[in-house]
Amino acid sequence: MSEFTAPEVAKENIYWATIKNSRGLLITILLLAILPFIIALVDGQPFSELLSNDPGQSKFYQALMIEIFILAVYAISYDLIFGITGMISFGHAMFFGVGAYVTGIMFKSFGWSLLPTIGLVILAGIVNALIFGIVLPRVKGITWALVTLGIAEVFFIVIQSRELVDFAGAEIGLQGVTPPEYLNPVTERLRFYYLAMIFMILVYIFYKRFVNSPTGRVCIANRENENRAIMLGYNTFWYKLTALIISSVTAGLAGALHAIFHPIIRPDIAGLSFTIAALLMVLIGGVGTLSGALIGAATFRLLSFGLDRYLGGSSQIIIGIVYVGIVLYLPFGIVGTWNQRSVRRKEGREQLLRMFTGSKEKKQDENEE
Amino acid sequence: MNKISQWFRKNRTLIITLLVLTIVYLLALRGLEPKDQVLTTLRGFSMGAIIFIVAAGFSLIFGLMDVLNLAHGTLFMIGAYIGWTIIVRPDTAVDAITPIALLIAGFALLPLMDVLIERLNIPEKAARIWPWVGLILVIAILGYLLPKYPVTTWDVGSYESSPINYAFAAGQGTLVAPEPELFQGVSPVVGLGGILLGSFIAGATLAGFAHYRRYSRKEAKVIIDQGLPHTAIWISIITALIGIIFYFFNDPLSDFLLDLNNAWLFLIAILVSFVSIAGIGALMEVLLVRPLYATPIYNLLMTLGVSAIGIEFVRTIWGNPAFTMPRPSLFAGTGEGCPAESLADILANKCSTISILGGRIRTYNDVFVIIVGLFILITVWILLQRTRLGMIIRAGVQDSEMVEALSINVRRVFTLVFALGVGLAAMGGVIAAPSMGLSTNMGQVLLINALIALAIGGLTSYPGAAVGALIVGMLQQFIVKYGQIGIPLPFMEEAFKPTPPLVPASTVLLMVIILLIMPQGLFGRKE
Repeated sequence: MSEFTAPEVAKENIYWATIKNSRGLLITILLLAILPFIIALVDGQPFSELLSNDPGQSKFYQALMIEIFILAVYAISYDLIFGITGMISFGHAMFFGVGAYVTGIMFKSFGWSLLPTIGLVILAGIVNALIFGIVLPRVKGITWALVTLGIAEVFFIVIQSRELVDFAGAEIGLQGVTPPEYLNPVTERLRFYYLAMIFMILVYIFYKRFVNSPTGRVCIANRENENRAIMLGYNTFWYKLTALIISSVTAGLAGALHAIFHPIIRPDIAGLSFTIAALLMVLIGGVGTLSGALIGAATFRLLSFGLDRYLGGSSQIIIGIVYVGIVLYLPFGIVGTWNQRSVRRKEGREQLLRMFTGSKEKKQDENEE
Repeated sequence: MNKISQWFRKNRTLIITLLVLTIVYLLALRGLEPKDQVLTTLRGFSMGAIIFIVAAGFSLIFGLMDVLNLAHGTLFMIGAYIGWTIIVRPDTAVDAITPIALLIAGFALLPLMDVLIERLNIPEKAARIWPWVGLILVIAILGYLLPKYPVTTWDVGSYESSPINYAFAAGQGTLVAPEPELFQGVSPVVGLGGILLGSFIAGATLAGFAHYRRYSRKEAKVIIDQGLPHTAIWISIITALIGIIFYFFNDPLSDFLLDLNNAWLFLIAILVSFVSIAGIGALMEVLLVRPLYATPIYNLLMTLGVSAIGIEFVRTIWGNPAFTMPRPSLFAGTGEGCPAESLADILANKCSTISILGGRIRTYNDVFVIIVGLFILITVWILLQRTRLGMIIRAGVQDSEMVEALSINVRRVFTLVFALGVGLAAMGGVIAAPSMGLSTNMGQVLLINALIALAIGGLTSYPGAAVGALIVGMLQQFIVKYGQIGIPLPFMEEAFKPTPPLVPASTVLLMVIILLIMPQGLFGRKE
């Protein structure tokens, strides 16, 4: 092919172009969708058992994947305000915690059904973002981070208080949440798996769309140079608030899924360490690259799962060292570094191809981006 | 006259805010009995003093180098644990000195190794490979020998020999240190020599990595012919000697320290914890913080990681459960004549409590801590205002590039201030430990309080740190007190009792209100 094929691409069917552009996403969806079956195949479990949710390797790994999906939504919501809008928040775990606790309390103490609870979670998320946004016009940067830390810490203490033990279960955590029968994570795990997966994919597509929208672009401008964005006539406060609300609502929904999935909602999920986990996941994947948050969440969960399994108690030290190492030596994260080196990667691939075919001519690769 | 009115107009918000706070304080005092007024105020001051010690170092570091050091609380905690070890188990501390000194001896030779390797002219392939070989060798040698080194410690697993039990026995005065251990399986000469050799190879390995990095980046090191780095050699020899001397005089020294009065041990603990944490801080600044000055946000994330590592480190060595630290014997007397009525009584009986207005004041928590806090406040103030170093620091807070342009080695000042601030926190940890108790999350709790205090007082302002810490401490103690007696409110039947969760909540609320009124904090600089 010559270099003058560009106009032809433009004439291509727009749907085909969209599919071609989001090839990676589609492949990921496909892989995730057949993952339970692959594990069942490897384990030698018949598909009928898998479909009727019998215990086995596949079911175990489904649980792990569900956790990753929930964490990924949580991480991507943090990436929106930290990586895209450029606000450091130390209170992000509160968004997640509010979602989880609202769901748990509404199910357990008030007997609400799923849909009104989800509505309340969304409402609570908006209110939450407004609380964080109250001081937004006045304080910026580190001071705002401290305010969020303080607010989240208060929430963390309140849910652990003895006075609310009937509702929030103090420091032991909220127990005995009965999820609706059709979403029971024990008996209907496969269904839950697909629900969590679809939820994650939808959130990712929505975020991608949001970042590419005019509003999202102003958010990026706010990250790059806030004063300049203001000078160009944008009231950055509203854009920051929008990002906060979107982030808070998605984190809250992730929290709701967490509450349904886990038998006990521990107060840890609202503490500072969980915010740090979000930071870590975003950092591993690459700050400001939405797909990085997903990959970071998967890496984080699998890493801590593997380390816990083989090292037991001392796994936290290794996670800390990994964290410091990434900050020092891989500051752009996995996806960030990958994107940065795309040119060199292309060269390398062509070199590899030439080595096999032996021709000096540049060949066009099908898988090339 | 005009000037005064102008000053008032300029600082109107600050004056009104401070006035409102004072009125709230006076109102809060009115609701208490006389003895509670004194007690609660003193407790507020004491809490404020500890918060201040942490906040002061934090704000110095943040002001000078824009690093939000979130590992500050963790270093505070490690300082407390080191202090605890020296007070309760001095034999363990003495045991641990030798390997640490031998390791330092090797790393101190780094500048010498650097010069030697630079002169050797190793071919590129070899320069690339040999540091890795060295690394493997170091891990093998130290990994084999260090676990065999006899450090008489506690056992986190069993209750009999857990830190909790030792702390309890030390408080009762019935502490019996376990029999010192011996080298297992290797002779002492091989053990000591091996550790020393391992640390030398480690130093050389690090120098090798640095050399290869320069090599691969094609940047030649500017060689100024200054001969061998004599200071490094001397430091190395002296630390190695100290390590070996401590090994041979281990038993008499342990016995001496075990018999020593607890008050002296407390002093030693403060000093050792200050020095060791300051050393760790300097190392941290040079190795981890320095490469990231250009991107403050990454520095923040890095300190978070260090904090996580520190907490796990303490958890593995001292165990997870909380335990106590005995008070220094100067403040622990409970015999006759106590609680003290007069100053002479305190001095004669070393009472742990003083009775005033029918209430009891604890001499350590409510008096000594405040005095130490004031002492540190004044010392650091003098250091900042009256010395050349302080002048450089203050100028650096304003504009560090300008200071650098005036041919002052700002980087060295950065390292010094980082070490000083972190060391201050460690000192605070030892001082706070007898009243707060030791737990792995003590640092985090205090760090959050210090952050709130700094946000209230102004992030980079030294007087702001003091005032903010005082406000936070006072508010917390008053809420605690009113949680016991309740606040009579006009529109409620029963008195409103603030519950424990309201203690931190109230400070956060105050912080939010003050930040809404004055976004820069009370004494913060306007940008």
